[in-house]
Amino acid sequence: MIPLPTFDETPIAALRNIDFSYDDGTVALQGVTLDIWRGEHIALVGGNGSGKTTLAKHLNGLLRPSRGRVLVKGKDTAKQSVAALSRTVGYAFQNPDHQLFCPTVAEEVLFGPKNLGFAEAEAVEKAGRALKMLSIDHLKDKAPLSLSLGDRRRVSVASVIAMDPEVLVLDEPSTGLDAREAAELMRALDGLNKDGKTVILITHEMRLVAEHSERVVVMAHGQVSLDCRTRVAFSEPETLRQSGVIPPVAVQLAQRLLEFDVSPEVLTVDELAEEVARVRGART
Amino acid sequence: MTGFVDLYSEGDTFLHRIDARVKIIAVLLLSVLAFLLSSVYPLTLLLTFIFILLFLARATLSRTWFALRFVIRFMVLIVVLWPIFDPSGTPVWATFGPVKITEPAVWRGITSAVRVGCLACVWYILMFTTSQRDLVRALVKMGLRFDFGLALAISLRFLPTFSATIDSIKDAERARGMELDKGGLLKRSKNYVAVLVPTIVSALRSADTLSLALHSRAYGARADRTYLREPKMRPKDAVALSIVIAILVVPVFFKYALGVPL
Repeated sequence: MIPLPTFDETPIAALRNIDFSYDDGTVALQGVTLDIWRGEHIALVGGNGSGKTTLAKHLNGLLRPSRGRVLVKGKDTAKQSVAALSRTVGYAFQNPDHQLFCPTVAEEVLFGPKNLGFAEAEAVEKAGRALKMLSIDHLKDKAPLSLSLGDRRRVSVASVIAMDPEVLVLDEPSTGLDAREAAELMRALDGLNKDGKTVILITHEMRLVAEHSERVVVMAHGQVSLDCRTRVAFSEPETLRQSGVIPPVAVQLAQRLLEFDVSPEVLTVDELAEEVARVRGART
Repeated sequence: MTGFVDLYSEGDTFLHRIDARVKIIAVLLLSVLAFLLSSVYPLTLLLTFIFILLFLARATLSRTWFALRFVIRFMVLIVVLWPIFDPSGTPVWATFGPVKITEPAVWRGITSAVRVGCLACVWYILMFTTSQRDLVRALVKMGLRFDFGLALAISLRFLPTFSATIDSIKDAERARGMELDKGGLLKRSKNYVAVLVPTIVSALRSADTLSLALHSRAYGARADRTYLREPKMRPKDAVALSIVIAILVVPVFFKYALGVPL
């Protein structure tokens, strides 16, 4: 379904044994080590307060580790500004209202590419592509802040995609989207991933994870409690449960049907249906 | 930032336990006293008294220092600037071109600085020992309309949230390659439009949601609402109030009735 990532020598982003505490003393990350490779489609999951967003904010330098090192394309983020890192790592915030300020959607989406110094024509081209990708080009003359939450979220995601970063971090991008909008967004992300972009998705929606991400990083209490391929991750319900994550219904159902010879590696409804058909076929 | 918005620190000293209304009145009376006293010695005495109260309120050194930094800077500024702009009186200590530094002006500067110190620190006593909730409750009890009290409580409550929102907005813009603090003054103020617009919008949005939430919890359904806690004056509150009144009245009597230069 999704092509295997092409591994090159250095990870595009690497966290090396990082700790992070907020000013009020809350320990948010403890000894996190993680390699993210070019072209991966990763889901970052875990309960609220487990450190997902804190971890993600280290990737573009919004947060700097209290201990340990963060390397983006092999270079330490400690020596780079957020603006410089935003060329490599795009980050769409959890709350779209925190980044929208332009009078029109078109200007909003152009803002990032312009900051990065793309030539006018190239910036317009990238912005246009991002708008089309999320099927919001019909909104381009509207005021972003007057749109519905679903549309505002898509504008905020488009404004990051338009910057054409190699790594896309999206913090709960499907919140407030209806099923069709969410499917469209995920399709757009899969498309970008196919073009070689690294996609890191922070989400609570395990169905999306099962259907789209190939690797799952589970966070609990500021630590990585599980880091493996999605298929393997969801066959560890106990570890997931302890991290506050419940596998999608199709996976749960497949696990209940193990005694009927249904494969434990089922991820999606389609796969489950196929398995059930196979098992029934075998019976008759 | 939160520390700046709310100076209150939990504690169980007598200053924490006194009725917040008494504290408000006491602080007002002591502020009046600071204005009435015009000589540096009684003002210094008052400042010492206030510091003793701060100490009794168990204000930790770091917290006090956090709050005092601003005051001290301001006091130093007064001491330095006053003699420069006030050439009156003799003897003249020094002359730099048009600037004449005279002894009485230097003293006046010091006096004003101490007075400003008194005025600021006396309010810190109230802020350190009274939670915002108690403060608002006391103001309502003293006759502030309940809805104004609620508005005040809500705005105080939302200040930290607001500052967190601003931080998040700044991060979001920086993540889109914006360098907020780069460029000249004009460029930088233009940059802040990107922060200001979402800030205002999210403030308006949350105000909207909040008002709906208040109404859906029957806010304003009856004029005579029930109060869970009714602050009551106890004997020790009365004693504290009497002491503060005496602290105000005695020097005022000496100064204005007997003509002692205080």
